[in-house]
Amino acid sequence: MDRRTVIKNLALIIGGAALLPACSQDKAKSKVALKNIDITADQEQLIGDVAETIIPKTTTPGAKDLQLHLFVLKMLDDCYKKEDQQAFVTGMGHFADQSKKLYSKTFDQLDTKTREAFLLGIEQEGKAEEAAAQKSGDEKNAAPATPPAGKYSPELKKFYSIVKRQTINGYTNSKYFMTNIVVYELVPGRYNAHFPYKQKQAV
Amino acid sequence: MANLNIDSVKERTFDAIVIGSGMSGGWAAKEFTDKGLKTLILERGRDVKHIKDYPTTNMYPWEFEHRGELPMSVQEANPIVNRCYAFGESAAHFFVKDAEHPYIQDKPFDWIRGYQVGGKSLLWARQTQRWSDFDFEGPARDGFAVDWPIRYKDIAPWYSYVEKFAGISGNRDGIAELPDGEFLPAFPLNTVEEYFRDHVKSKYKNRYVISARCAHLSTPKQIHLDQGRVQCQRRTICERGCPFGGYFSANATTIPWALKSGHATLRPFSVVESIIYDDKLGKATGVRVIDTNTKEAIEYYAKVIFVNAAALNTNLILLNSKSHRFPNGLGNDSGVLGKYVAFHNYSAHIGAEYDGAKEWTTDGRNPAGGGYIPRFRNVYKQETDFLRGYASGFSAYRYPERSWDGVGSSLKDNLANKELGPWHVGSHMMGETIPKESNFVSLDDKQKDTWGVPLLKMNIDYDDNDEKMKKDYVEQLTEMFTSAGFTNIKASTDRRAPGLDIHEMGGARMGNDPKTSILNKWNQVHSVKNVFVTDGASMTSTSCQNPSLTYMAFTARAADYAMSEMKKGNI
Ligand SMILES: Cc1cc2nc3c(=O)[nH]c(=O)nc-3n(C[C@H](O)[C@H](O)[C@H](O)COP(=O)(O)OP(=O)(O)OC[C@H]3O[C@@H](n4cnc5c(N)ncnc54)[C@H](O)[C@@H]3O)c2cc1C
Repeated sequence: MDRRTVIKNLALIIGGAALLPACSQDKAKSKVALKNIDITADQEQLIGDVAETIIPKTTTPGAKDLQLHLFVLKMLDDCYKKEDQQAFVTGMGHFADQSKKLYSKTFDQLDTKTREAFLLGIEQEGKAEEAAAQKSGDEKNAAPATPPAGKYSPELKKFYSIVKRQTINGYTNSKYFMTNIVVYELVPGRYNAHFPYKQKQAV
Repeated sequence: MANLNIDSVKERTFDAIVIGSGMSGGWAAKEFTDKGLKTLILERGRDVKHIKDYPTTNMYPWEFEHRGELPMSVQEANPIVNRCYAFGESAAHFFVKDAEHPYIQDKPFDWIRGYQVGGKSLLWARQTQRWSDFDFEGPARDGFAVDWPIRYKDIAPWYSYVEKFAGISGNRDGIAELPDGEFLPAFPLNTVEEYFRDHVKSKYKNRYVISARCAHLSTPKQIHLDQGRVQCQRRTICERGCPFGGYFSANATTIPWALKSGHATLRPFSVVESIIYDDKLGKATGVRVIDTNTKEAIEYYAKVIFVNAAALNTNLILLNSKSHRFPNGLGNDSGVLGKYVAFHNYSAHIGAEYDGAKEWTTDGRNPAGGGYIPRFRNVYKQETDFLRGYASGFSAYRYPERSWDGVGSSLKDNLANKELGPWHVGSHMMGETIPKESNFVSLDDKQKDTWGVPLLKMNIDYDDNDEKMKKDYVEQLTEMFTSAGFTNIKASTDRRAPGLDIHEMGGARMGNDPKTSILNKWNQVHSVKNVFVTDGASMTSTSCQNPSLTYMAFTARAADYAMSEMKKGNI
């Protein structure tokens, strides 16, 4: 591993909030050192935009601040099966195409509202399919339901679901989240088996 | 043989040799060195020094490169050990990887191992229950296996002995089928666990829900402080190794204690290939070791040899110890060596929700893991169409409901939500399997490992009894959950291979009759009086309680006996 790679990996491991300097010699390549998949800087940018739509910067840090898109790539590269990695890359292409087809713009040209609507549409189609599969699984004797012809390819949905899952995984396990939102304690030193709890009253 | 000069032989001669430095071997080492015996501890794996060699013990979740998950390359290269729940990014370094130490699965068997100083004692879930006379009398009563050569009263004082030193937390529950021990204060049940406990008590005769008993220093005593251990910090990341010594492991407890005595020599990287039997002297004289770094074969000698390599490796060593007198393995006059292997059946689970006690939750973490339901089937009389029974885990927990739906700031709000959802409850089955001749391990006659030791072949499977027991578990727990008002009850069973419960036992069983057993009531090989086996290999039957506490008690008892026999000149 060369020094640059080491530094990049280190930054990922530490989950630091500092943005890595863009690398001028190697513009076309992704910033994160990958072993199994080939990702261009543009694709990395797209994943960053999707992740930022999922976890946007508000009064608190968003996906890009926390480098979650690089975490998504790291997880994709290391922790997924080959066929999932292939589907991801293919699906990423479909995703870019769909953006142009539906909105006549690339994803980064869309405003936040449209980006969100786009992602929610994919999510809804995925959920409807899951529900249908569940239903046909429940009615074991029923003829297998033909999958509804969706707007989005299975690879596109796979791409999106991996980005979403790993963005959330990276977010909820980030140092930021675990020191500010949930407060993870390495040494709690206690176990209170009966701890009073007041559910917030519904408004 | 390069090392034939007298000095070298002297250097390689000890009073006692202990094979294996894990849960049970650590106890043998401690007992011998406490009494001043010059003891050699042989361990095939590397040394793991308490605190110093726990690389992940102080890491935060976000410091793990993959947030706890293992890379796919590691998972795919390790289909067997990857099935173990504790094989993750934080503790993978304490598990044997599939390719490192192959074995032959004539029938599927998930052999989960830890080859290092401390063995699997670094990784265990620390559940510790005594066995009772219902277990030790079981075979005689139910007609399976052979009669145990001991009863509860024989082992009870040794349970007390090891409990005091190891530190076991629990309540005195007064249940005949789960004898009380020398307990440190228990980790309490939470609100819903208590609710279920009370419900079960009022509704059922002879069914109990108790705080799980576990090897944690809830409140340490002087003897634990003397070991350099302090109170359990309720971190519940024990499988990384505990810098506080909060739970019992050989690394934090028995091994450093033995080394501190000045009488122990710990030799890691030493695979014991066989035990040397001297036909003329009519006893074992030592062991043959292969140094894993140099591949050099070295012999060590001692008056007494304790075999504590964990059940199946102990079988391997004994089967591979061939001589004129014992062509089929050391002490194997009966031909039963390697046979009657049994295990536990953990293949059923049940989960549900409880729509009550909303004003309570928990704070911190419970190292005991929750509650325990002792065996309630076929205890006082045979009442089902299967033999023996099962214990069950039981726990209740509540967590914030964090919806992953949607995107954008509403998703961010959802993820930050701290509102708790309903209580969830869960249970898993821990069933006894019946030792049978047809469940056995043997040596392959061709394939050998890197050190020239034959590969072990597994022929171990479930049977009808296990299927019936599993069905009964699901029925009984579903009924108990329903009657307690739990909702959304979901039972599931899986088709895991035997072994994944990591409680494999037998093969060199104890018994009264040398014709049907390998060891006598002192864990002593019937026909080789200076060799003792005190790990899971010696178990005549398996009970449904966790086994490790019993291995420890047997080891301390056998070591005491061996020393008194040595004093009398009998060995
Ligand atoms: C994830 C997990 C959870 C568990 N939970 C529980 C639980 O809750 N309660 C419970 O009672 N038990 C539990 N166990 C099982 C428990 O760990 C074992 O029963 C116990 O460690 C067995 O003790 P042992 O001394 O026989 O073997 P080990 O502790 O495995 O030690 C054997 C040692 O011998 C060494 N060795 C093997 N072959 C040779 C050789 N040829 N030469 C030299 N050295 C050799 C090994 O490297 C090892 O260090 C669990 C195990 C695991 C992995």
